Amino acid sequence: MSTYDEPETQLPTTEDGDVDEDAIADLLGDHVLDRETHGNAEAYVVRADAVQDVLSTLKDDAGFDHLSCVSAQEYDDRFESIYHLKQYEDPTNEVSVVVPTPRDEPVSETAEPVFRTADWHEREAYDLVGVQYDGHPNLERILLPDTWQGHPLGKDYNKDKPQIVTFEENKNPLEDHARGGEDSDTMFLNIGPHHPATHGVLHVETVLDGEQVADVNPDIGYLHRCEEQMAEKGTYRYQIMPYPDRWDYGPGGIINEWAYARTAEDLADIDVPEYAQVIRTMSAEMCRIACHLLATGTFCLDIYGDFTAIFMYAMRDREIVQNLLEDLTGQRMMFNYLRLGGVVWDIPEPREEYFEKCRDFLDDLPEKLDEYHDLISENEILQSRTVDTGHLDPEIAKNYGATGPVARGSGIDYDLRRDDPYGYYDELDWDVITEDGCDNYARLLVRMREIEESARIIEQCVDLLEDWPEDDREIQSNVPRTLKPDEGAETYRAVEGAKGELGIYIRSDGTEKPARFKIRSPAFSNLSALQEMSTGEYVPDLVATLGSLDVILGEVDR
Amino acid sequence: MIGILKSMATTMKHALDGETFTVEYPDEAPEVSPRFRGVHKFSQERCIWCRQCENVCPNDTIQIVTDKQRNGEQYNLHVGQCIYCRLCEEVCPVDAILLTENFEFTGDTKHDLVFNKEQLKNVPWYNDLDPLASREPDRGSWVGEGEGEVDYQ
Amino acid sequence: MATPTPLPDTIQRNIGVDGFGGELLSMFLAAFLIGNIMLAMTGVAGPWAKRKITAAFTDRIAVNRVGPFGLLIIVADAVRLLSKELIVPEGADRPAFDLAPIVLAGSAMLAFAVIPMGNGIQLADPETGLVFVFAIASIASLGLLMGGYASNNKYSLMGGLRAVAQNIAYEIPLVVTAASVVLFTGSLQLSEIVAIQQNTTLANVAGIRIPAWFAFVNPFAFVLFVVANLAEVGRNPFDTPEAPTEIVGGYQTEYSSVYFVLFYLGEFLHIFLGGAIIATLFLGGPAGPFLPGFVWFVIKIWAVFLFTQWCRSAVPRVRIDQLIEIGWKGMLVLSFANLVLTAAILGVTGL
Repeated sequence: MSTYDEPETQLPTTEDGDVDEDAIADLLGDHVLDRETHGNAEAYVVRADAVQDVLSTLKDDAGFDHLSCVSAQEYDDRFESIYHLKQYEDPTNEVSVVVPTPRDEPVSETAEPVFRTADWHEREAYDLVGVQYDGHPNLERILLPDTWQGHPLGKDYNKDKPQIVTFEENKNPLEDHARGGEDSDTMFLNIGPHHPATHGVLHVETVLDGEQVADVNPDIGYLHRCEEQMAEKGTYRYQIMPYPDRWDYGPGGIINEWAYARTAEDLADIDVPEYAQVIRTMSAEMCRIACHLLATGTFCLDIYGDFTAIFMYAMRDREIVQNLLEDLTGQRMMFNYLRLGGVVWDIPEPREEYFEKCRDFLDDLPEKLDEYHDLISENEILQSRTVDTGHLDPEIAKNYGATGPVARGSGIDYDLRRDDPYGYYDELDWDVITEDGCDNYARLLVRMREIEESARIIEQCVDLLEDWPEDDREIQSNVPRTLKPDEGAETYRAVEGAKGELGIYIRSDGTEKPARFKIRSPAFSNLSALQEMSTGEYVPDLVATLGSLDVILGEVDR
Repeated sequence: MIGILKSMATTMKHALDGETFTVEYPDEAPEVSPRFRGVHKFSQERCIWCRQCENVCPNDTIQIVTDKQRNGEQYNLHVGQCIYCRLCEEVCPVDAILLTENFEFTGDTKHDLVFNKEQLKNVPWYNDLDPLASREPDRGSWVGEGEGEVDYQ
Repeated sequence: MATPTPLPDTIQRNIGVDGFGGELLSMFLAAFLIGNIMLAMTGVAGPWAKRKITAAFTDRIAVNRVGPFGLLIIVADAVRLLSKELIVPEGADRPAFDLAPIVLAGSAMLAFAVIPMGNGIQLADPETGLVFVFAIASIASLGLLMGGYASNNKYSLMGGLRAVAQNIAYEIPLVVTAASVVLFTGSLQLSEIVAIQQNTTLANVAGIRIPAWFAFVNPFAFVLFVVANLAEVGRNPFDTPEAPTEIVGGYQTEYSSVYFVLFYLGEFLHIFLGGAIIATLFLGGPAGPFLPGFVWFVIKIWAVFLFTQWCRSAVPRVRIDQLIEIGWKGMLVLSFANLVLTAAILGVTGL
């Protein structure tokens, strides 16, 4: 378990270990205006000027130390911000805080002083929906350009109106961001959006003092593709499923699809056959291996420079996984394999051949990982470059909502596959990997060891599938062709993506399309901790830290 | 120092074993899974112009024009815009539209990638692979009854 | 073994033109010859070989379409690079920006003048040849700084400054280690250094005479020199001045077309020059059994080149502060220790 001291809090739990909803209501006292029941947790409607009070009470007195997501939306009569809170100790203990604000004056108190991660989440809510947060340190647009007019997910937004940006405004959008001024000793440097090491179109505004980083501010949004809005335009049953593949194209496609499938199945109360769960589990772990291999390869590319061998070796092994996934799903990255209530195809015929291929891959994997260790993790220069750089304290990591290998590299024992089980994970024998180094090296090791664990899971799944009785191979449950969840049903569900907690919030309005579809991207939260990790370091370490966060910009910007 | 030497030994081992994992692509056709989803093939003879594919397409890639008697006139599909999700094949009750394993298509402009029904018909099979053979088992799931209210659009 | 006659004199004797005109002509011819040999090796074969070598390390195939073994890709590349638009950034410091690539490539070319390449191929053989080589080769860092400073780009500036810091830190160990060779040979003349290494016998093993190449006499100095040389030519693990994943391309970020070709050429020339210096000081220059001297010389240079590419595939880049630390606290101390020890041992044994 975690290595640091847990704050002593009295968790308001019932005898079964669940959240005691009434005790929390008592704890919050007068702040609670109303109570709602969401699919995942009890929701407390609170006053807009008491957000900090409520959240800090929940954080300090009830142990809800993980602000998972902030979903904002507009109703006909009000704006609403929902704070989805969890516990790092036990993420099944959830609570939601709903903050309604009137439409004519959508101002609510910021949560940023309580949870640092609210900084970016609230900026996104402001940017896309138009809720304003009183006391927020830097309430600017985050995904859209600064010159954008209107809030695209708001009800008043005119989609047909072209966005006109005058030349004056467009001349040098970076000029105003240049901090430091003429006389200071620091130099402002734009790393990205086009830079060999930003893993996509990320723009990092950096202030340098010599070679040292004095301040850094990641500027995201260059790859914003309105994924949430596209999902709101698609039908639950089929049209949304192809799009999650395009968030984390690491390729973590099946894990992303699973995030949507889990939420929608929860919302519409759909059962998934056990056989399909095993296939889902197996294919998701294949995706995780592919993602981690890519992360390892590109991280080393950042440290070694081009022409390094490790990148190509990682690509070579990822290729094998992709071939397996291609045989199974029909695509190498954009799988569209999961369906609500199951998966689209069974294991390809002849089954024995496919299992043979999987086993070949799994048998070769330990040898290849040993080679990786020879090549990278045992290399003294790599160690001197990565040990004690990009330091992220567990407490700070929690404050920033870091999850996945980034959190586990800081010793936070948090893995939704085990803590909030879904699929077939709780039936299988595997371990959650943590490292206490809190640095880039620890994160590298976590990823490399997680590949081994994923291989273990796949092996068990292959065994199970091989022996599965032939008359019980149900790949999809009976789901109506047009799916209309109950009006007003809302839920937030998350799965353990390759980068961390990938959550989806859906609110249904009784039609076949979601009324609000919000994606909680793990890389988004992880990236917001970059400033904390790399201030005071050298530029090469900033690049290495960015690489160790393993951001996929398609997932950050959505 | 030992770690560095180990690293160097590892790469040298790979240099000397002479194995390569890349292939000489145009000369050597890559192996494609039977389930692979490539460019569409359309059969006007089979099509009953029910427009289900047009409806299910997530990003409006398929455009169908019919006359007043609902006889089909045009069937246009933008293979450059398509996201190859295969929902059109899945929904088609008569297998009039299929995704071949063919992944090669080029065009000078994006407009060249708008295929009409003739072009779609002439899309070649890839290595004589019949996509339906490998994908049949899921057809039943599409017309599932479900427990809720059934709506066939 | 008498020092061979420098190449211009040989040419003059053969073409039979006397006087100042003949001397000038033969000098020009000799320089032309050597220049072309080196350019053919670096500019033409170098990039091709680099691709092939890197591909071998990373399990790929690399160029094989254009011509036999893809050799004609060099022509295609040359045409492509030379026909590209020459982009000069706004606010670039013009004379310096234009001069930098020439300084870089020129300095490396000049240094080849005094290297004995075997079979009498040597342009000049001054008594202070070794000093000349180091003096000329270090002009390159001036070229890098000029390029980095004049480009009006922050990445270039950082790259230029890194290059200078690195070259200063590693030049001293390089020269001091070379001095230990000079202690052994007692001469700064390069042909003399080669001759003494080859003519002294280190040992006889099973009837085969092992010459006293300095790499055999003092392997420690050899390793030091090779490492310092890696830093000098800016290759992994010391490629911080370029560091594409950190500062994009360092000093050459803003260079395009012909200027880029010159920069690229200059870098390759420097790797080969480094190889030539190592071959001359430690590996007996052009000496070797069976094959002609010049062939041995080329083989030795290519071995060093191969080594740099090998390092590139397997060794991570060190951080700039670690690099400076290794240079001043590690390499410098070790190289002086090596010098003092060599001197002491030579003094005691009276070699």
